[in-house]
Amino acid sequence: MINSSKFRLLAALALISAAGCKGDFLTGGDLSNDPNRPGVASAQQLFTGVQSNLWALWGSDLARVTGMWAQQFQGIISQYATLEQYAHDETTTGGFQQGLYSGGGLIDLSNLDPLAVKANDKHMLGTSQILEGAIMGTGADLFGDLVYSQALTGKPNPVLDKQAAVYDSVQKILSAGITNLQSNTATDIGPGAYDLNYGGDPAAWTRAAHTLKARFYMHTAKTNANAYSLALQEVPLGLNDPAIDYKGVFQAVPQAETNFYFQFNGPAGRGGYMGDNPFLINLLVSRNDPRLNDYFDTAANYLSSTRNAPNYQQTFVSTTENLLIWAEAAFRTGDPATAIVKFQQYRALVGLSGNIPPAGPALLTEILTEEYINDFQLGEEAWNLYKRTCFPNLVPTVSTLKIPRRFYYDTGERQTNTNIPAAGSGINAAFNQDDPAAVNSDGGNGVCAGQ
Amino acid sequence: MWKRILLAVGTSALVASVASAQGGITISGTVTNEAGAPLPGATVFIPSLNVGTQTNDRGQYSFVVSGNRAAGQTTQLTARVIGYSARSVPVTLTQGQSLSQSFVLASNPLRLGDVVVTGAGTTTTREKLGVTINTVDSSSIRRAATPENIVSALAAKAPGVEVRTQSGEPGASADIKIRGGASLSGTNQPLFVVDGIPIDNSTSSTTGGDGSTVSVNRAADINPADIESVDILKGSAAAAIYGARAANGVVLITTRRGHSGPTRYTYSSELRFDRIDRGNLQLQTDYAQGSNGNTAVCGGPDCALTSNSYGAKIAAGTPVYDHVGEIYHPGLTSDNVLTVSGGNDATTFYASGGLTAQNGVLVGPDNKYNRATVRLKADHQVSSKLRVGGNFSFYDTRGNYVQKGSNVSGVLLGALRTPPNFNNLPYLNQFGLQRPYRFPNPTDVPSMENAGYYDNPFFVLNSPGNRSEFNRTISSFDAAYDPSDWLAFKYTLGADQYADGRLEALPLTSAGNAPGQVFRSDATQLQIDHNLTATASHSFSDNFSTTLTLGQNLNSRRNRQISSTGTQLIAASPLALQNTVSQTSGESKSLAHISSYFAQATADFYNQLYLTAGIRNDGFSTFGASNRRNNFPKASIAWSFTNALGNTEQRGILSFGKLRAAYGETGKEPPVYGTITAFSTTSTFGSGYGDAINTLFGPAGLVSSLSLGNGNLRPERSREFEFGGDFGFFNQRADLSVTAYHKRTSDVIIQVPVSAAATGYTAQLENGAQLKNQGVELVFNVRPIQTANVAWEIGTQYAHNKGAVESLLGAQFIPYNNEGFTGAIGSSTLGFAPGVIRGSDFIRCGRGLQLDYDGTGVKDIDALCAATPGGYKPGALFLGANGQPIPDPTDRVIADPNPKYAMNFSSSLKLWNKLTLSGLLDVRKGGQVWDGTRGVLITKGVSAFTDVRGTTNGQFGKNFYTDIYPNVAGPGYNTVAFTTYAQWQTWFLNNGGGFGTVGQQFIEDGSFVKLRELSLTYTLDQAWVHNLVGFTSADIRFTGKNLHTWTKYKGLDPEANLGGSEFLTQGIDYFNSPQSRSFVVSISLNR
Repeated sequence: MINSSKFRLLAALALISAAGCKGDFLTGGDLSNDPNRPGVASAQQLFTGVQSNLWALWGSDLARVTGMWAQQFQGIISQYATLEQYAHDETTTGGFQQGLYSGGGLIDLSNLDPLAVKANDKHMLGTSQILEGAIMGTGADLFGDLVYSQALTGKPNPVLDKQAAVYDSVQKILSAGITNLQSNTATDIGPGAYDLNYGGDPAAWTRAAHTLKARFYMHTAKTNANAYSLALQEVPLGLNDPAIDYKGVFQAVPQAETNFYFQFNGPAGRGGYMGDNPFLINLLVSRNDPRLNDYFDTAANYLSSTRNAPNYQQTFVSTTENLLIWAEAAFRTGDPATAIVKFQQYRALVGLSGNIPPAGPALLTEILTEEYINDFQLGEEAWNLYKRTCFPNLVPTVSTLKIPRRFYYDTGERQTNTNIPAAGSGINAAFNQDDPAAVNSDGGNGVCAGQ
Repeated sequence: MWKRILLAVGTSALVASVASAQGGITISGTVTNEAGAPLPGATVFIPSLNVGTQTNDRGQYSFVVSGNRAAGQTTQLTARVIGYSARSVPVTLTQGQSLSQSFVLASNPLRLGDVVVTGAGTTTTREKLGVTINTVDSSSIRRAATPENIVSALAAKAPGVEVRTQSGEPGASADIKIRGGASLSGTNQPLFVVDGIPIDNSTSSTTGGDGSTVSVNRAADINPADIESVDILKGSAAAAIYGARAANGVVLITTRRGHSGPTRYTYSSELRFDRIDRGNLQLQTDYAQGSNGNTAVCGGPDCALTSNSYGAKIAAGTPVYDHVGEIYHPGLTSDNVLTVSGGNDATTFYASGGLTAQNGVLVGPDNKYNRATVRLKADHQVSSKLRVGGNFSFYDTRGNYVQKGSNVSGVLLGALRTPPNFNNLPYLNQFGLQRPYRFPNPTDVPSMENAGYYDNPFFVLNSPGNRSEFNRTISSFDAAYDPSDWLAFKYTLGADQYADGRLEALPLTSAGNAPGQVFRSDATQLQIDHNLTATASHSFSDNFSTTLTLGQNLNSRRNRQISSTGTQLIAASPLALQNTVSQTSGESKSLAHISSYFAQATADFYNQLYLTAGIRNDGFSTFGASNRRNNFPKASIAWSFTNALGNTEQRGILSFGKLRAAYGETGKEPPVYGTITAFSTTSTFGSGYGDAINTLFGPAGLVSSLSLGNGNLRPERSREFEFGGDFGFFNQRADLSVTAYHKRTSDVIIQVPVSAAATGYTAQLENGAQLKNQGVELVFNVRPIQTANVAWEIGTQYAHNKGAVESLLGAQFIPYNNEGFTGAIGSSTLGFAPGVIRGSDFIRCGRGLQLDYDGTGVKDIDALCAATPGGYKPGALFLGANGQPIPDPTDRVIADPNPKYAMNFSSSLKLWNKLTLSGLLDVRKGGQVWDGTRGVLITKGVSAFTDVRGTTNGQFGKNFYTDIYPNVAGPGYNTVAFTTYAQWQTWFLNNGGGFGTVGQQFIEDGSFVKLRELSLTYTLDQAWVHNLVGFTSADIRFTGKNLHTWTKYKGLDPEANLGGSEFLTQGIDYFNSPQSRSFVVSISLNR
C-alpha cells in the first residue's frame, strides 16, 4: 500500500509537472508562423512572378530541346546528345507541364484575378488574362490536349480538353484581356512598375495580345480552315514597332535574373552540351544572311557573345513575327500582293536588302524560310512551324525515327489524374491527336522526311 | 614531456586524496575471473557510501574510505565489470584498519545484472529487459579505429544496425539505419542522446548532396574516446519513451565518468594510415581523345576538344596516366587523447582533451579534417540524499574539403573522364589558368566562360574554396534527489548549441563558373532539453516488487541560417563575398517546441517474471492544431524461465534462458511549418539543368510554393511487436539471442503528388502512407577456451529486414528528385522498401508491353519475342531489327539498395592476458547499386568496357553484355549490332551509355564481404614500464581496417554512397570516393 506521505510527494510532483503545461509553449510566434515565407501576396507581386515564369516557359529548357529538334541547335554531349537523337521520356519536360498550373502559372493568376476584380482594376485583370492565354496556348503547343476547362477546380481527375478546344479557350481569354485593357477608369491602375515588360502600358499589351492571337490561330491551321483568315484579322492590330516587342527583361546580375542561354552555358555548367547546328548555319551562309554573326559565334560553335550575354533581352513575341504571319496568312488566303508588302516590311526591319521576292509558291517558301530563321532561339515556334508545315523538310537525326511532335505528360500529372495517358506509346510521341499527318512539305520541296 | 605535464597535473589531486586518508580505511585486493585472469577496469565500490575505484590492468584495486564515514558499520562491497556477474561481500568498516578483499567474478556474457540505460532517465537491469537493447562498449569502439566518427565505429557491431560510411574522405558522413527505414521522408536516422541530452545528428552538405563536398554527420563531433558505452534502442517498445522522435530508434551514448580513488591518467595516441582501394574500377588505356577513331587535335589557343575518348589507338610508347592513382595518396590521421579522472568519496571528475587531425587520401593541401574536443564531467554528493553533477563538452572542428560527385568541379568527375594519354599535370598553363582536358590552352578567363569543360582534378585538389569552421558545446546539469528509500527524483537540463560556418567557392576559371563564385553560410542550432522524472518503488514481498516513474520533458529546438552567394570574383583571391561583383543572400530559421509527459510502471514477480508498461504523451508545435497531443504506449514482458526451473546459478547445459515479448509505439514528427501554405520569395522556376529564375525581378514578385500545407498533420506512428529469447549454454560458454520483429508504420507523411492541373500545387503533405519492416536478428557467441592464460571468443551476428511500402495514398511511387539522376532516381515505391531506385530499362520480353518502338505503329512485344526461333525466356532482352536493344520509356523500379541480410563474424583471442588478437568480418548480401560512374565513363569512352570498340562482330546475346543480358529475343535476335568503330561509339554515346535513358544497365549487385577489422593489442605492465615511462601500463595496438573486400561490384566501392546520410536513397555511385583501407598503430599509456 502506498502510504499518505508517498501520495503527497507524488501529488507535489504532478503539480510541478503541470506547471510546465501551458499551451503557449507549443504555439505562437515562430512556432505557429513560418518566419521564412510570406503568407500573403499582392496582385502586383503575383503578376511579376507569373511574368518571369512565362519567360522560362518560352526561353529555357523546352526552347532549347525544341530548338534542337527543329535543327537550329545541335545536342552534342551528355543528356543533350541523347535528346538530339529524340530519346525523351516522361521526365524530359522536367515539370513544365505542371508549371503551367503551379506557382508562377495559373494558380497565381487565379490568386491575382479576384484581387484585381475587387479593386475594379480592369487593366490588371486584362494583363493577367493575356498572361493566361500565353501560358495555356504554349501548353497546347507542347502537350496537345490539356486540362483547362476544369483546371484548378479541385475536381479529382480533371478531364483533358482537346487541343483545339484549348486553343479556342486561349483565343477567348486573350480577347477578354484585350477588352478589359480598353477600359479607362480611375481604378484601372494595372501592374505598373511590376510589369517588367511594358510598365503596364495597355496599348502595348493590346498589340502583343493580338500577335499572340495570330500566332495561336496559325498553330491550328492544319485542322481549322479559317485559321489563316482569323490570323489576318489580328495582325493589323498586333505588334507594329520593335520597341514594344515582348522580351525577357534579363539583367547582367544576379545570376537568377540572367538570360537562360547564358545560365545554361555558364553558371549551370552545361557548356558544350549544345552547339550550333550545321543545318541552320549552312542555310544562313547560303543566303548570305547578315544574321549569321548575330546569331552564332561559329568559331566557338555556339551562340554569339551578344546573344549569350547575361543581360541579352531575348525577344519572345515580335513585330517581325507579326509581319511574317501577315505575309504568310495573306498568301495562303489568296492575297499575294499584301504578302509581298508585308514581307518587304519584314525584310527591311531585319536588314535584308536586294532581290525582290519571287512570286507564286516560291514566295511561300521564302516566307517560311524567313519564319524559320526569325524563330531562332524561340525553339518552340521553330518546332511549331515545322509541325504545321513540314518546313524546312528536316531529315531526322536518326533515320529510323520521326521528329517528335509533342512532349509526354509529367509523371506527377499522370499519377494524379486517370485521364492522363501513359507514355508507353513509343519513343516517338503521337502526333497532336487531331492533326492529319504531313505528306508533303509546304515549302514545295517534296515528301515530308521527318513526319 | 607528457610525463612531466601529467605529474604536474596529478600532484594536487594526489595531495587531496592523501589528506582524506587520515584515519581512513584502505580497502584493496584483486578482481579475477574464474579462470584466474585479472579483470582490468572493474569497478569496486561501496554502494551505500558511493565510494570506490576501478581496477588497473593487473586487476588490482585500492581505495580509501575516509575516517569520518567509517563508524564500524557492516556494509556491502561490490565488484562489477562488463561481461561478468557482479558480486557483493559484506565488510565491516572500522577506523584505522586496512581491508583486503579479492573477488572472483563469474562470466556473464549476457550481462544479466548490468544496469542498462533505457532512456529519459530510466534504467533497469538487463535480465529484466523485455526488449532488445544492444550495447557497444568502449573497447570495441576503440578497435574500430575511426576516431573521427562514432557512427562509423558502429558498423557491424549490432544486428539490424546498418552503417554506411559515405566515403573515405575526411569529414565524410556515416549513415545509420536501424531495422530498415520507418519513414519515407528525411533520412531515417535514429535519435542520438548523450548522457540524457538529445543532440543533433543532422547531415547538411553546403550546396546539395549530389555535388558539393562530403559533409559531417554531427554526432561525429563526439570524441569516441570519451564514450563509455553506446546503447542502441532498436524497436519501438524500447524507444517509446522518446515518443514522436523515436520511430527510427534511439542511440544512447554514455560518456565516461570518474571514480573515487587515485587519480588515473590515460594518454592514447593513434596514427592511422589510409589508402584507397580502387576496387574493380577499370579504365581503358588504349584510345585517345577524339571521335570515330580520329584523335582530337588542339588547333591552338582556346581550342575546345570533345569530352570523349573515341580517338585513334594511342601509339605504342606514348605515356598513359593512372587517373585514379594520381589523385590519391596515403592519408594520415593522428588522434591524441589525454584523460584524467578520479575523485574522492564525495566528488568525482573526468576530464579529457582530444585532438584528431586527419590528412585525407586526396592529393593536395585541401583534404583535411581536424577536431579538438574538451570534456569535463563531475559530480558531487551534496548530502546522502542529493547528488548534483555537471557535464560540459566543447568541440571545434575544421574541414578543408574537395568538391565531389555530380558537379563539373567534382574531383573524380574530371579525373576519371580524362583521356588516358592526357597528362593532367601541370594543371596550370603559362597564363596561370587551369588546363582542363577539353579546353587545354585557355588564354584568359572570358575565353573559358562558355567553353564547357570539367575542372582539371589537380585544380580542384588545390582549391582552398571549401571550408567548414564549426564549434559546439553540449553541456548539462543533472541532479538526483532521493528523499526517501522508495522515492527518487532525477533531473537533467542540457543544451546542445553549435555554430557552423561554411565556405564553398569556385575560384577563377572553375568549370562551374569561370568568373568565380563564393558561397558563404553561417548556421546556428540550439537545442535545450529539460527532463524530470520521479520514480517510486515498493516491494510488496520478496516475490513482488513494483516501480512507477512519472516524467516530464520540455524541449526547444531553434535553427538559424544566413547564407550569401557572391558571383564574379574581382580579384583571384580572397574567396570572400566582398571580393565579388554581386551578391544574393538568404535566411532561414525555424523553432519547434515539445512538451511531453510520460509514465512507466514495472512489476517483478518471483525474480523471474518482469513486466513493464508505459505511455508517453507528446505535444509538439509541429503537430497540426487539431492533433496537438498524441500518446505512445508500450508494454513488455520478460520471463527468465531457467530461474523458474531452479537454475538461478546459471549453470548446466541450458545455463540461462529468458523469453521476452514487447509491443510499443513510436512516432516521427511532421516537418517544421508543414502545416502552412505560403508564397515563395525566391524560386519561380528551375530546369533540371540548373538554369533558374527567381521572383526578385523589378519591385520583386511572389509565387505560390509548390507544396500545399496541411493544418491537420499528426505524427507518423510505428507500431512494433518484437519477441525473442536470450539463452546461455554450457555454463555460459555459449550464448544466443534471437529476436523477431514486425513494425508497421502508418500515418506516414508524404508529399503526396496532387494534380497541378486540379489544384495549382504539385504536392501536399499528408498523413496516411503506410509501410512495414519485419525481420529477425540473431547473436551467437561461443567461448571455447577460457583459461587463466587463454581466452578465445568467437561470435556471429545476423540480421534480415524486409521492408515494404504498403500505401502511398493512391500514388504508385514518390520520387526523391534530389537523390539521383534522370534515369536513376531515388524513390519510395509501393511494394518495395523505402529508397529504391527508379529509371528506365530496355524493352524486355514477358512484360506484356505494347509499344510503338520504331514509329510504325504499336506492336505486341511479347508476340514478337514469341516469334523468335526457340521462343523467349521472360525478361529476355528485346532486340530491334538492327540487333540493338531499344529503350522502354516506362519508368520503373530498377534497383533496391536495401540488403537482403547482413552478417558479421568476430573472433577474439587473448593470450597471457597481454596479447589480444581480434578480427571482424562484415558480410552484406544483396543491396543493389546504381553504378552511374561506370555509365558515364562508358559514354565518355574511358571505361575499359568500351575496349570492345575495336571488334567487328558485336552481338547481344552472343559476345556482348552476355553477363547482364544472357537471353535475347525479338527481330534482331541473331543480328550483329556493331561492326564498326563508329557504330560502337554511337551506341555508347547514346543508349549504351550513362547519359542515355536506360539506367537499368548500370545496376549492379552491391554484395560484399569486408575484412572490417583485424587488431592485435599487447599490454605492457611489467615493472620496467613504470620505471621507464612512469606509467603503470601501456597498450600497444595494431589495427587494420577494411583490409580486403570481396565483391563483384564493378566500381570503386559497393558501400560508398554519393549523398551519405543526407539521402534516404542509398546505393548511388556517381564519382564518389571509396572508403579507405587503413592501418593503425596506437599506444595507450595508463597510470
